[in-house]
Amino acid sequence: MKAKIFLIGLVGLALSACSHVDEADRIIELPKKDFRAADDVFDQRGNVIAVARQVLLEDFTGQKCVNCPRATETIEELHEIYGDHLVPVSIHGGDFGFHGTATNIGLATDTGDAYCEHWKVTYQPVGTINRHGLENFEQWSAVMEDEAAKTTPLQMAAEATLSGDNISITVTTDCLDGTYSGKLQVWVLEDGIVAMQSQPDGSVNREYVHNHVLRAAVNGTWGDDYTASKGDSRSHSFTQAVPSSWDRQKLSVVAFVYNDKGVEQVVKTTVK
Amino acid sequence: MKRQLTTLAALCCLLTAAAQEPAGAGSTPKSADEATVSGSIQSDMLVPQNDKAIGATKDGNFNTNTYIDVLMQSRYVDAGGRFEYKEHPLPGYANYPETGFKGTGLPNFWLKGKLGNNELTVGTFYEQFGSGFILRAYEERSLGIDNSLLGARLVVRPFRGVTVKALTGWQRHYWTWDGGQVSGADLEIGLEQWIRPLRDHDWRLSIGASWVNKRETGDSVFTNTLRSQMLNLPKYVNAWDVRVNLNKGPWGVLLEYAQKTQDPSADNYFVYKKGSAALLSGSYSKRGLSVLLQAKRSENMAFRSRRLQTGNALFINHLPAFTLDHTYALAALYPYATQLADGEWAYQAEVGYTFKRRTWLGGRYGMNVKVNYSYVRSIDDDGVEYPYGATGYKSKFFKWGDATYYQDLNVQLSRRFTRGFKLNLMYMNQRYNQLVVERHGGMIHSNIFVADGLFQLAPKTQLRCELQYLQTKQDLGDWVYGLLELSLAPHWMLTVSDMWNCGNTATEALPTYNNENTHHHYYQGFVTYSVGSHRIQAGYGRTRAGYNCSGGVCRYVPATKGFTLSYNYNF
Repeated sequence: MKAKIFLIGLVGLALSACSHVDEADRIIELPKKDFRAADDVFDQRGNVIAVARQVLLEDFTGQKCVNCPRATETIEELHEIYGDHLVPVSIHGGDFGFHGTATNIGLATDTGDAYCEHWKVTYQPVGTINRHGLENFEQWSAVMEDEAAKTTPLQMAAEATLSGDNISITVTTDCLDGTYSGKLQVWVLEDGIVAMQSQPDGSVNREYVHNHVLRAAVNGTWGDDYTASKGDSRSHSFTQAVPSSWDRQKLSVVAFVYNDKGVEQVVKTTVK
Repeated sequence: MKRQLTTLAALCCLLTAAAQEPAGAGSTPKSADEATVSGSIQSDMLVPQNDKAIGATKDGNFNTNTYIDVLMQSRYVDAGGRFEYKEHPLPGYANYPETGFKGTGLPNFWLKGKLGNNELTVGTFYEQFGSGFILRAYEERSLGIDNSLLGARLVVRPFRGVTVKALTGWQRHYWTWDGGQVSGADLEIGLEQWIRPLRDHDWRLSIGASWVNKRETGDSVFTNTLRSQMLNLPKYVNAWDVRVNLNKGPWGVLLEYAQKTQDPSADNYFVYKKGSAALLSGSYSKRGLSVLLQAKRSENMAFRSRRLQTGNALFINHLPAFTLDHTYALAALYPYATQLADGEWAYQAEVGYTFKRRTWLGGRYGMNVKVNYSYVRSIDDDGVEYPYGATGYKSKFFKWGDATYYQDLNVQLSRRFTRGFKLNLMYMNQRYNQLVVERHGGMIHSNIFVADGLFQLAPKTQLRCELQYLQTKQDLGDWVYGLLELSLAPHWMLTVSDMWNCGNTATEALPTYNNENTHHHYYQGFVTYSVGSHRIQAGYGRTRAGYNCSGGVCRYVPATKGFTLSYNYNF
């Protein structure tokens, strides 16, 4: 009996010991990794059949959301690492979105609300990276690392020019290998919008600067059908009217191709 | 959709038919060795509609959460299982991070062997140690919670008044069991069985002690976006709980304390702080008078079997709520959710008194008065935002923090005036910290008035009328609610209600966001038919977006509109 009690005590002690980590032992340093975009992939004849995949980060956010500035900080940190390989888009909508008043700018849109509904966003901040399901912003760096290492057979480019009150947009797509079936989506974003934002301490910052804010879905909420086979090279043209409330110097266009498996490729260009 | 409905209906019919005979046999067992079969069917269905005004967007053409439970009992062996059909779940249940909720299958199944006072369960099971501070595996369908354990549980009663439990398993995470392994043991001793003087003086004194261990490996947590540092996470988290429960006559006292070792998780922003919970509860209950006084302090006690999990899933423990779960619609508009990770000081006092019949206050039939007060406040905190891997804040045990999380003072009167009329009145004064509970907004201070009258129109006909009003200057402003419920015993019940946001949106807390027209009517109508152990309810109406809470745990429910059908059957 005494032996059993001793044994149970020993097991208890062993488990307790494993459950404590001293302050000095809590951080494990890892070898520094510099981001390098995936190399092009060639076939046996030396033709490029896949290129580095850029990554679309849709940040479902809202001006009433107190923790959303934390997610924005994460986006800024990710952008420092991945540069233009990361294409972040702030989608204002849902319960924390603000549609604005006569005196206060609201950044939520019906399109943003539709996306929040579609993804069943019930709390914010939350986001999706290349449309592989929702992730907490604490998880974005891990998902980003995986996505940024991938290649894709779809090559994309975009140009956007302002003429009068319209943006003329041209998106070109090249299918380097295989076949693809999905949708082509084009958005207009605006940077540097000064508007209210709730802060983590519950206060409201009226001078908060909002970047990469989704302003409009140029070709509908879910885009146009897009199919391509190896060798297909296409040019797609769009026009977007610019309301007076948008700052024409800070507009950009994001175009991406996606289907049920996620975003295949994305490209971003500033409006000239 | 037609095929889904047909499949569902066929399944229900099949199980109903299959259950009929054993149920009949079970109700009158012929011998102790005979097996009995019992069970239940619960199916809640919605044919949704879009309603832009209230923000209701339909997800498919048909939604249902359907559960079928079957239990076989015999002298030595029990067995059971639960079939769930949630392929197209009701709105809000499968929203992020609960997306795993969706599915169909048999997630609960168990076999229990019984010998004397001892039992061994293999399969899925529920369990609670003490008040649940360190272990509570339970099901709460209205919240979509089922954190049952899949594994083995042994309960032995080796001596009179002594119960020992030991268990190990993995928690259900909707359709997977992907959390860490949870093991534990609990000992409860009824000392009055061993100490004669206690028995002689009618004292009941029980002591209990529990231990729970979580073994978790696998997930990596990086301290920065660069991912140049990661946390050395504890492989095991241990928690223990001790308690004393003393009762004599109408008096009762419960004292309980629990502690948890380092458990860095998404809930506590990965700090290595220990957790603790303490509870003191005293009660007195004698005919006509009841008194309850409770205090609870918790600190960093979110305990899950997977440290990266958020939302409602994979909680190993549960802290009892010290706030009243209100049933009146407007009283439940701003429900409080227990702050497990942040910690809280919570107090509750309740006095119930029945004024006797044929007295000045009691009238001809007597009158019940109940006063309940609950107050929840933050614990002492240094206000520093610690980085991942830090030990975290220090908190003095008895010192309060700066923020009031919740306060509710409510007075309820219940009096029958005549044989044909009974009236319930309630006044409630509430302070609700929306920023803490919902992570937006500010403090909402409201006054709520409820009148609930029951008219006996005929021997089998009753009419119940509710009128409620919520007054507040914050958030969405004032609300009014009315309900008429006609009962035609024994089978029929007709209900109509409307909740209307009649006030002006936020005039104080966040005037900057005051933009939206929220003056909507949330109307509902239901017809309920009951016969035997069958109950079916059909309805149509709107449901407001908000939080549905039970026991301090909440689930967000989006706005909905459409036709509803509910079916319940016990066999």
